[in-house]
Amino acid sequence: MTEVERPYTAEETRIVRERQAARSRVMGVVLIGLCVLFFLITVVKIGVWG
Amino acid sequence: MTTATRDILMPAEWRDFWALTKPRVMSLVVFTALCGLLAAPGDIHPVIAFTSIMCIALGAGACGALNQWYEADVDAKMARTSKRPLPAGRMDREAALQFGIGLAAFSVGIMGVAVNWLSAGILAFSIFFYSVVYTVWLKPNTPQNIVIGGAAGAFPPVIGWAAVTGDVTLMPVLLFAIIFLWTPPHFWALALFMKTDYGAAGIPMLPNVAGQRATRNQIFAYSFPMAAAAIAPFAVGESGWLYGISSVALNLLFLVLAFNVWRNEANEAKAMQPEKKLFGFSILYLFLLFALFAADRKIIA
Repeated sequence: MTEVERPYTAEETRIVRERQAARSRVMGVVLIGLCVLFFLITVVKIGVWG
Repeated sequence: MTTATRDILMPAEWRDFWALTKPRVMSLVVFTALCGLLAAPGDIHPVIAFTSIMCIALGAGACGALNQWYEADVDAKMARTSKRPLPAGRMDREAALQFGIGLAAFSVGIMGVAVNWLSAGILAFSIFFYSVVYTVWLKPNTPQNIVIGGAAGAFPPVIGWAAVTGDVTLMPVLLFAIIFLWTPPHFWALALFMKTDYGAAGIPMLPNVAGQRATRNQIFAYSFPMAAAAIAPFAVGESGWLYGISSVALNLLFLVLAFNVWRNEANEAKAMQPEKKLFGFSILYLFLLFALFAADRKIIA
């Protein structure tokens, strides 16, 4: 069985872009959160806050 | 044959990755881990405590993702699980596998570096136990799957405790025993009224293999050692009266509901109200038991 390769339609492309943008936003929030957390862990580990 | 149309694999939504982690299961894991952490003797910095709970949650999420990756074909056969991202075709399996392994490695690594390596080791073992021992080996092969597999869900309070103290003593072992012995009556009550679903998926749950009578006997039988384990922290002097009185009351209620299941002779799911009541109450039971234990040790003591 052979499948016909064809590009995304305009509607599919719009959905793909929306999903990529949403995933990027979530990943951005997660990475910023991890940066803050790792900073706080480092500060606690080196004993600045006792 | 040439097809004019094709299945287009769209990028999965972030919500599908979230669904892979089984958020509802994760909430119970996080809660019991938090109670273990709060009940442990000693102090832990709030940042490290938060990191511990986050790592345990991510580890539980990894278990959910790896479980769904392995069971995608089975999930497609059960109404309860057929709408998950993989059986519904919203995500490719490779992405789920990579997500699961990534979460597992990240959670164990951060736990080890930021908290301690004992809790990281137990977390790694619990992920392995759930993903490989339970999902791959026990679940498709033996009706005792959730008896032994229940150990995987019993580790979180031990990890929470170990995050604070750096060791494992009698008390976290008792917390482990409570969840370990709670798991069979909890899941077998579900398996009784979901028997058809499990049968269609070919999973050898106890009602499908040994019958409903044997399952009801087992539910009632397991309720006694579970109650003994739940009351044990008070009996050995590790908790105060708040937990002592409330654990006795909760376990009496559990035993009454388990007795109603044992008396029930119904074969049809719609006539299994005692089983549904026990299943619903068992979740509340575990939440209350652990919350009261943590409150007793942290606030009252």
